[in-house]
Amino acid sequence: MFSRAYKFAISAPPLLWISVFLLVPYLLMFGYSFWAVSSSQAIVHTWNLQNYRDLLIHDVYRQTLLRSMWIAARVMVFSLLLGYPLAYFLSFYAGAKKELYYQLVIIPLWVSYLVRAYAWKTILGTDGVLNTLLQYVHLTRHPLDFLLYSPFAVVLTLTHIYTPFTFLPIYAALEHIPRNLVEASHDLGATPAQTFWRVIFPLSIPGVLAGATFAFVLSLGDFLAPLLLGGPSGIMISNIVVSLFGAAYNWPLGAAISFCMLLLVLSLLMFSEHLEKRWSHS
Amino acid sequence: MSRQVLTLALVCLLLLCGSCQKKTPSLNLLVWEGYADSSFVKAFEEQNHCKVTASYMGSSDELVAKLRGGSAGNYDVISPSSDVATSIAKAGLAEPLDLTKLPSYAQLSPQLTALPLVRVDGKVYGVPFMWGPDPLIYVTTAFPQPPDSWNVLWDPKLQGKISVWDDLSTVYLAAQILGYDKPEPGHLYNLTDAELTAVKNKLIELKPNIRKMWSTGGELTNLFQNHEVVAAMGWPLMTNQLRKAGFPVGETIPKENTTGWIDHLMITAGSENKDLAYKFLEYMIQAQTQKKATDVTGYTPANPQAAQFMTPEERKNLHLDDVDNYQKRLYFWQDVPRRSKYNEIWNEVKAAQ
Repeated sequence: MFSRAYKFAISAPPLLWISVFLLVPYLLMFGYSFWAVSSSQAIVHTWNLQNYRDLLIHDVYRQTLLRSMWIAARVMVFSLLLGYPLAYFLSFYAGAKKELYYQLVIIPLWVSYLVRAYAWKTILGTDGVLNTLLQYVHLTRHPLDFLLYSPFAVVLTLTHIYTPFTFLPIYAALEHIPRNLVEASHDLGATPAQTFWRVIFPLSIPGVLAGATFAFVLSLGDFLAPLLLGGPSGIMISNIVVSLFGAAYNWPLGAAISFCMLLLVLSLLMFSEHLEKRWSHS
Repeated sequence: MSRQVLTLALVCLLLLCGSCQKKTPSLNLLVWEGYADSSFVKAFEEQNHCKVTASYMGSSDELVAKLRGGSAGNYDVISPSSDVATSIAKAGLAEPLDLTKLPSYAQLSPQLTALPLVRVDGKVYGVPFMWGPDPLIYVTTAFPQPPDSWNVLWDPKLQGKISVWDDLSTVYLAAQILGYDKPEPGHLYNLTDAELTAVKNKLIELKPNIRKMWSTGGELTNLFQNHEVVAAMGWPLMTNQLRKAGFPVGETIPKENTTGWIDHLMITAGSENKDLAYKFLEYMIQAQTQKKATDVTGYTPANPQAAQFMTPEERKNLHLDDVDNYQKRLYFWQDVPRRSKYNEIWNEVKAAQ
């Protein structure tokens, strides 16, 4: 039906887009990761594996990566704990107000990331809203230090920011569950809990996996929340990359870390896709 | 038909007018905070019918990274400090200056212009603009006795109550506390591996006290105003801003002395507005502009003639009455031959738990 030329014309723009803005930059980055920096801080084009060796030798990169993964894991769990009940409520109980609630969940996504991060600063600070309130009602006598410039602040902010990302795929999955399955389950005498755990939840797992992947991968690569709200010990792996591409001016090492991160994220995506497939087949 | 021709002609005319309309020339700066304050930049804009746009740098390394990373052509004038000025000149990122275009250059303090910092192969690449210390800034109400030693930052009582700059200056500071400035202060900028390891450990010891590392001057001012911190290493600019806001703040050069810097103005090699940039440099080193810049920043002017516009008290505050003794207490930033190694140590400190 469609001529070859037509098919080519249709697929060329996206392919071109992907090559120019995705593949070529990644290849360049990959190339950079084998170069070196001279003592006068100029990038030298001699092929070597020193950057990858540095990544293995120095504890700082491995530890920071592990810490970032630990933060991302907590963000993922909290986003699921918040996002799932929200999606469940909207899908099954919101009734006529569904559209309105849906918009309310989505609206934060329209607000700039920076504005939301700064908002948490004014809430969690020493003179912030929360500390003032706690002291006003005499729950605490001194401002709580751990609220801001701490891992707590980073996890809280990232959870706030990425919960809509977990909500959306879960909501989509729940919406696709045929309602007559739920009715059949009730008719056959299952309790509401049994219906949820044996019918609804298993069918929503692809959404949960997609949401969990979003929350984990996006917060793993985050650098703004630790920069603005993290304490002196709260830096994540992307902050190191930012520093290497910026102040420290070591693009090759920065590129090596970025490439390892890319591999890690891609394997995570493949793993989650594999899980999703297994679940939707069984 | 003739109507269409007429329309076409009109459209062409409009397009031509649009493109030949004279654009206001603009000068882009990448400088330290306070160096493009409207109190003196506005008059320059009016005199020269141009627009001055300033971006601010958070550290010397950020400036170098931006210039090397390919955005050198986006800026006309930069204000590197004494630590990176030499390497910027040597790397060909700045333009050698024609001093005949800067009549006020002769007025600048000979102590500063005689330094080899911005001289490469007999050419001069920058003009000294202002200099000053990295003092200890503290909230007066938090200390019964004004602190007189940098060791106060390590005081266990100040847990989560201090801030340091996210910059190599903090590495120099720790090296100084460890006594590596003796006998030769310049050694701070050329430490051995063993000394750097000791510095790293000293800074990791400091971490429980650090609430947040500041990366812009405005951020430190905010940290003080929001009562997040009570003491920090900063610049006189923040003290000045806090005092103007009525905040109870004090500033001191502790008994261990401190590091300092001499900021230079340079024209980038890639600048397309070099004539305007020369005019700007000349304007910035004139005595009157220097006085206004001093009012904003609290730094010492490179042009001693600025003193004629100051009250005796202002002169005393800037140590203009006793420059030689004052400078002995400041270890001016120098080129760090192993800057990558220093940065690596600093990153390890930041990543440490």
